[in-house]
Amino acid sequence: MQYLLTEQQKARHGDFKTFVNQNVEPFAEKWDREQRLPESVIALLAKLGYLGCSLPTQNGGHGWDTVTFGLLNEALGRGSSSLNGVLTVQTMVSKALLKWGSVEQIRKWIPMLAQGEIIGAFALTEPGGGSDIHSLVTEFTDSRGDSLVLNGAKKWISCGQFASLFLVFGKLGDRSLACLVPRETPGLEVEPIHDLMGFRAAGLAKLTFNNVEVPPANVVGKPGFALSHIAPVGLHYGRISTACSALGLLRGCFEESVTWAATRKIGNQPLGDIGMIRSLIAEMGTDLEAGSFLCHSACRAADENLPEAFEKALMAKYFTSRAAVRAASDAVQIQGAAGCHASSSVSRFYRDAKIMEIIEGTTQIHEHLLGGIFLGQVRRSLQ
Amino acid sequence: MTNSSHAEEEKKVRETVTNFLLSSINIANLNDDDNLFASGIVNSLFAVQLMTFLEKIFVIELGMDDLDIENFKSVNATTAFVMRKKGWQKAEAGPS
Repeated sequence: MQYLLTEQQKARHGDFKTFVNQNVEPFAEKWDREQRLPESVIALLAKLGYLGCSLPTQNGGHGWDTVTFGLLNEALGRGSSSLNGVLTVQTMVSKALLKWGSVEQIRKWIPMLAQGEIIGAFALTEPGGGSDIHSLVTEFTDSRGDSLVLNGAKKWISCGQFASLFLVFGKLGDRSLACLVPRETPGLEVEPIHDLMGFRAAGLAKLTFNNVEVPPANVVGKPGFALSHIAPVGLHYGRISTACSALGLLRGCFEESVTWAATRKIGNQPLGDIGMIRSLIAEMGTDLEAGSFLCHSACRAADENLPEAFEKALMAKYFTSRAAVRAASDAVQIQGAAGCHASSSVSRFYRDAKIMEIIEGTTQIHEHLLGGIFLGQVRRSLQ
Repeated sequence: MTNSSHAEEEKKVRETVTNFLLSSINIANLNDDDNLFASGIVNSLFAVQLMTFLEKIFVIELGMDDLDIENFKSVNATTAFVMRKKGWQKAEAGPS
C-alpha cells in the first residue's frame, strides 16, 4: 500500500511511528493498568500539532490531508487505542464545528481545539441507547430569555473525564439540536466511568445536565439539523479515525505474532514452521493489507470531498474493526499463556479491539447501512 | 444573466441534481416536487452526501446559514438553492 503514498506522507508516517515508539508504546500498558492518560502525553500531542493536524492552517491547524491524518491514527493505534481516542474525539468535535459552526464559534473555539489548548468531547450517546440516535431524550427547553435550558444525561463519552468542551446533542421539541457546553458551566456534572474492558485509559465519563443554561452563542447550526448534518460530519471523521486506529492495532498484532512465531520454538522447530500458525499469520497479514487499502480509499475520498466518502469510511471501519478483533484473538492464541498476561501487548489489543467494533456505530449498524447501500445500488441498476 | 442563459443553467443544474438523486435514493421515479425526506426514501447519510455532492459539483460551500429544509426538500428546491448560491439570477424585467 506504501506505493500509494506521496513521499511527504511516507516521511510523516515514519515520524509518527518514531513518536509512538518513543513516547507511547513503552507506557501504554501502564496507562491501561492505571486507567488514565498522563497530562504530559496529551500535552505532547498538542505541542506537535497532532490534535489539530487536519484543521486548516488559518484556524491554527497543520492543514494536513486526511490520508496523513489516517496515518497518524494508524501509528497511534499501534501504540495505544486509548491515546488515539483523544485524537478521534478532538477531530469529531472540531470538524463538526468547523463545518456547521457560526463565524464567531469558529473564531473562538477552533484555534484552541487545533492547538490542543482545550480538549473536546462528542456527547451523543445516552444511557438509554447509542445506536438509535433518533431516540435521544436529552432535552432543550426555552427559557424566559434568549437562552435554552438543557436537561438530560450522556454516557460512555470518551475523554469526558478531562475534556473542557462538550458538543452535546439533544431535542428541542421534535427537532434535534446541538450545542457547546464548556466544562465549567453550572449544572454540568461529570462522573468518571472506570473498569471498562478496553479503552481503559480513554477517560470515559457520564455527563449529567441539570438545568444547564445554553446561550444562543453556543447553539451549533440550527434546530432540526443536528442529527442529519452535524452529527454525521463528526461521526464520519470518527469512523475514519477508528478505522485507521484499528488498522494500527491490527499491525501490532501482526508484528507481535510474526516476531513470536519466528523466535519461539517447540522442540527444535520454530513456531512459525507449523502450518496452523502460518494460517493465522497469513490471514492477519492479508487483512492488514486489505484494511490499508480500505482506509486509504476512505481518506482519499474525504480529501477529494466525494459523496461516496461516507460509505467508504463505513466500509473501512467495518472491515478493520472486525479484522482487529480476529487478529487480536489469534495473536493471543499464538502466544499462548504469555499472551493472556497483562505484560503482553496482545492481551491489551484483545480487549481494545472489541471496543473498536462498538464505537462510532456498532458492527451491526454498519451492516444495516452498508447492506442497504449495496442493495440499493443493485436495485437502481436493474430499473 | 439573460433569461435564456438562466434557463439553460437551471436545466443543467436540475438534470445534474436529478441524476445524483436517482443514483442515490431508493425510488424508481422522481418528480421535481417529490419530498426527498419522506419516510423510507433516504438513509441517514443522505443529507451529508447531498451536501458533499452539491459542494463538489457546483463548487460551492455550504454552511450554517444554508441549513434550511426548504433548500433541499425536492429537486426543484435544490435546483433553486444552487442557482441562488451561484448567483445565477434571472435578468431584471425591463420597463414594459
